[in-house]
Amino acid sequence: MRRLLLCLLVAGVGTFGFARGAAAYPQFQFSSGTTKCNQCHYSPAGGGLISSWGRSESGDTISMAGDGGFLHGAVTLPTWFAAGADVRLAVTRTDDGGDESPHGAWFPMQADLYMRFAFGDAFSLYLAGGVRGETRPEDDSISGRFSGIGDRFISREHYLMWRPSATGPYARAGRFYAPYGLRFVEHIYFVRRYTGYELYNETYTASGGYVSDEWELHLSAFTPPPSSLPDPLQSVGARESGIAGYFEYRLNGMAALAAQARAGIGKEASRYQGGLVGKLWVERAKLLFLGEADLIQQVVTTPSFNQSQFVSYLGVSYFPVRGVMITPMFERFQENLSVAGTGRNAGDLQINLFLYAHCEVVLFGRYMRVGTQGQPAATLLMAQLHYYL
Amino acid sequence: MHNPPMISGRRALLLAAAVAALIGCGGTTDDRPASWPFISATITEPSCATVNCHSEVAKRAGVDMHDRASGFDAMVMKGFVDPTSPDTSAVLYLMRGQGSTRMPPDMPLPEADIVLIRNWIAAGAKNE
Repeated sequence: MRRLLLCLLVAGVGTFGFARGAAAYPQFQFSSGTTKCNQCHYSPAGGGLISSWGRSESGDTISMAGDGGFLHGAVTLPTWFAAGADVRLAVTRTDDGGDESPHGAWFPMQADLYMRFAFGDAFSLYLAGGVRGETRPEDDSISGRFSGIGDRFISREHYLMWRPSATGPYARAGRFYAPYGLRFVEHIYFVRRYTGYELYNETYTASGGYVSDEWELHLSAFTPPPSSLPDPLQSVGARESGIAGYFEYRLNGMAALAAQARAGIGKEASRYQGGLVGKLWVERAKLLFLGEADLIQQVVTTPSFNQSQFVSYLGVSYFPVRGVMITPMFERFQENLSVAGTGRNAGDLQINLFLYAHCEVVLFGRYMRVGTQGQPAATLLMAQLHYYL
Repeated sequence: MHNPPMISGRRALLLAAAVAALIGCGGTTDDRPASWPFISATITEPSCATVNCHSEVAKRAGVDMHDRASGFDAMVMKGFVDPTSPDTSAVLYLMRGQGSTRMPPDMPLPEADIVLIRNWIAAGAKNE
């Protein structure tokens, strides 16, 4: 009961705070006994609001204790309606090697509300709304446009979907990321940041595909929000229009191999990229290996110049006991494969503690080397409190 | 619930190590153009125009670098660069964290990128 009260307190405090990303942990594929993302999420490619099955798993399989149901199981929603929320608070300590390092900050990271309305067995409407995060300590000298919560509203996802069955074909249209990559919730991972999946860079997307027990295919066409739309519907990051495809094949409920490609055409630069994603679950050792590697051809319009980039992620998640996930990982991004001094390497350690259903503590550390030898290293330490409704 | 593992943990670790070895490549010369359109599209927009910093929606410190025009205006018109004395341009001190918070604070730029920006300033800091 004390832990439940602590969770509700965290949620209450965090409601005044602010946003980040629809939660998804690709580490739960295979390790939790599920094989497909859409077993736990309404989205066919995972992420966002979790289904009743996902809620059950979050309480019975993933967390140390508690009821994963809406409002801790106190309320049963009608089958045509689902709702949820995410609230995160974070504290960080950054050492960037500069003269004024290290510096710390605490901030409300996320406050998002999700709703899904089902119309019959096949059609549904998904709506998400929240508040943009604010990751710097208040300082008038560097203040930006945001002056209050009203300026920070954002709806990063809203779409209509046709999906007659959990397996089989589907189609959806609206605002969401085109399925690609490992689809981490952590937006600072290089494989999100440098492949067109920066925080708040959701596009307007038409997507269709097929999900079966053994494989799934997602094909998408996307475009950035028109600049005429108001701030709550605007994106941040590269404004690219294009197409993306992701095909995943699974083996024996313990491994997956995926091939992917994406072309994003922008006014100043375009990106043509492709790569591989792999997962391997080793049941005996309780280890899940995850990897992604992408090659990117960046084409700059003026002056005409092409450069090849490489971005990768390699991690292994260890589940020593129920409710604990420990993930050391390595990340690499090379901005230009022809110039040796443009690489970034990061070694990260993330510990996720699912102490009670709906409540999570995240501890994260990153050590990053940038460029060539002699440049100072950068470190980041972060702790998060996460509550989902 | 699961089938017995078909691949041993040791073999998986070896595979992981092989993939991790895919690091560090590239030549020692930098043939990238020291021009603002290139620098904006490949360095400052992805590194500086992030959600809470110098994006169009945040405009931290009144600085917007979300595209070529806004970034040029911020760098040149706001006095962060000095073509008459490129090595003392304020933006270089910021990017190297000399006497200030390092920019970008979350993801320092490689020195090769800072040198490219310095060369653009030395060439007159033009938007072409």
